[in-house]
Amino acid sequence: MTPLRPLSLALAFLAAVLAARGATGEFFERLESALTVSSADAFFRARASGTLDLEAYRLPSPAPALLDTTRDTFINPRLSLYLDSHLGPRAYFFAQARLDRGFDAGDGSAHLRLDEYALRLAPWRGTRASFQLGKFATLVGSWVNRHGSWENPFITAPLPYEHLTGMWDNEPPRSVNQLLLWSHVRPGLFPALTAEEKLFRLPLIWGPAYGTGAAASAAFGRFIVAAEVKNSALSSRPDSWGPGADGHRYPTLSSRLAWSPNAMWHVGLSASTGQYLLPVARPLIPAGVGLGDYRQRLLAADVGFAWHHWQLWAEFFRTRFALPRLGDATTDAAYVEAKYRFTPHFSAALRLNRQTFGTLADGPRGLVRWGGDVWRYDVAPAWRLSPHLQLKLQASWQHEASVQPEHTRTLSSQFTLRF
Amino acid sequence: MPRRAVSLFFAALILPALALAQATLEGRVTLPKAITAPVVNQRYEIVSKAGVVATNPPLAVVFLAGDFPKSATVPVTRLVQKDLAFVPALLPIRTGTKVEFPNLDEQFHNIFSYSPAKRFDLGRYRPDEKPVPSQTFDVAGLVTLRCDIHEHMRGAILVLDTPHFVMTDAAGNFRLTGLPPGRYTLKAWLDSKTTRERVVELRDGATLRVDFPVSP
Repeated sequence: MTPLRPLSLALAFLAAVLAARGATGEFFERLESALTVSSADAFFRARASGTLDLEAYRLPSPAPALLDTTRDTFINPRLSLYLDSHLGPRAYFFAQARLDRGFDAGDGSAHLRLDEYALRLAPWRGTRASFQLGKFATLVGSWVNRHGSWENPFITAPLPYEHLTGMWDNEPPRSVNQLLLWSHVRPGLFPALTAEEKLFRLPLIWGPAYGTGAAASAAFGRFIVAAEVKNSALSSRPDSWGPGADGHRYPTLSSRLAWSPNAMWHVGLSASTGQYLLPVARPLIPAGVGLGDYRQRLLAADVGFAWHHWQLWAEFFRTRFALPRLGDATTDAAYVEAKYRFTPHFSAALRLNRQTFGTLADGPRGLVRWGGDVWRYDVAPAWRLSPHLQLKLQASWQHEASVQPEHTRTLSSQFTLRF
Repeated sequence: MPRRAVSLFFAALILPALALAQATLEGRVTLPKAITAPVVNQRYEIVSKAGVVATNPPLAVVFLAGDFPKSATVPVTRLVQKDLAFVPALLPIRTGTKVEFPNLDEQFHNIFSYSPAKRFDLGRYRPDEKPVPSQTFDVAGLVTLRCDIHEHMRGAILVLDTPHFVMTDAAGNFRLTGLPPGRYTLKAWLDSKTTRERVVELRDGATLRVDFPVSP
């Protein structure tokens, strides 16, 4: 598709918002009917829907998390299109395509991209078991359920899903000192390189991790058990998610056990293990071992609570990256998120994020932390202007114990039109 | 005492006659075509309770518009959430009615309305929530209901300034009984943009037939 200028997308967005403001609920009802097809007996149903987002950021330098821009003010329009279709009670297909400036927004032109597509089958009548095949979000953790712009109380993802560590996927560090350079714990990188090497760094989990593979799940009373086999580790970059990507030779295995004692509470435990180094790193690992011997192993626990106008979520992650010659690098991350709806139109959310790093033996210097511990606080008020329009603001304050302890502030806004 | 007994005797004779004197309206509303079934978004519920969502047949509300005395009591009715749908999908009520919203599913619902006639957000509530979440509807108009959790769920409450209303059946037939004699406007509400009306003259004890064919 021909790249589109961000400005033209932004203008299209504004025109759509203005039209939506003037449109009545009946307009969207008619649009929904036009985008829905159904057989007479409702056995086959399909619906196209979407969101149109316009985000604006006021950024520190360098841009935080996965944003790929050198600007201090950044505009990011995004069109997300969804397809949900049912064939009877036992077959469901969904897909998500986006037109934007990259999965993680950057300074480039806009392109259309197919992010998700999966077929889910529930073959046995009377049971709650299903199989899913395709490219889809990970079942690890609980944030995936609300990662869409309409459902997410915030504009950005929680810290564990976007904070970049010093771990690279195209090259393992040759020494602890090199890892500390990449983690910005020790000085030494040229300033220009500091911006460039952002492209190589990995977070703990890369967003919703739309890898390709298969999943199986079943419910037993109030318990749900699920497992997936995918082509890329949780920390892998979007380029590795597709079925044809030159990615990982060894599959990533993930599983989840969830328990919901009642409608108010949800508790989950997840685990995952997968190769995180790309094939290009093979010449840099010791002879006699394979890339599959260097894995990212992750354990996660999550809890969710909802009652009346309150919603709370918390997740905890422990991750271990196996490094050639250096041993295992561990990092812990957690966040607690709360949302309260004050009126039918106004809500606000608060999130506390934390990530800490384990130690590695650095010769005579003894044990050293391989990353700078991070605190981040996010506050986000939101206005639902109508069932189809939403405005969110977010302020984030982050403290990172890096080369020079950094306090940064990020302001952002997001206008969403849902149809 | 004998005078009171005589009065009661005459009252017993007259009251049934008065009841018989009330008018009846019946007829048929030509309904629009059936709407398409909703599509349930289950993208991130890898284990979901599968099922085919039934198509709600279009129905109309027929009501007698006029100046009627207010009800002395607060009527209470229910609109439930069952199998991820509002039941009934369209509920006509009189102004001042309290509507309870019991959740008969095993999961949360979060019913809200942004309609000018009534803005509210019940928050997330359990199936066994006590007291049952409720709202009182004091302003006439259409209240569109949605669920913040289940995007496909749609419902409506039509708040009317009259005690004389009825829902049609799926074929569009209706029957309104116990109506006071007089000259009124009979309305058939089909959707938020379509209300058909006819002026009717109701006579004691008579049954009047009024049809609402498709508008020219």
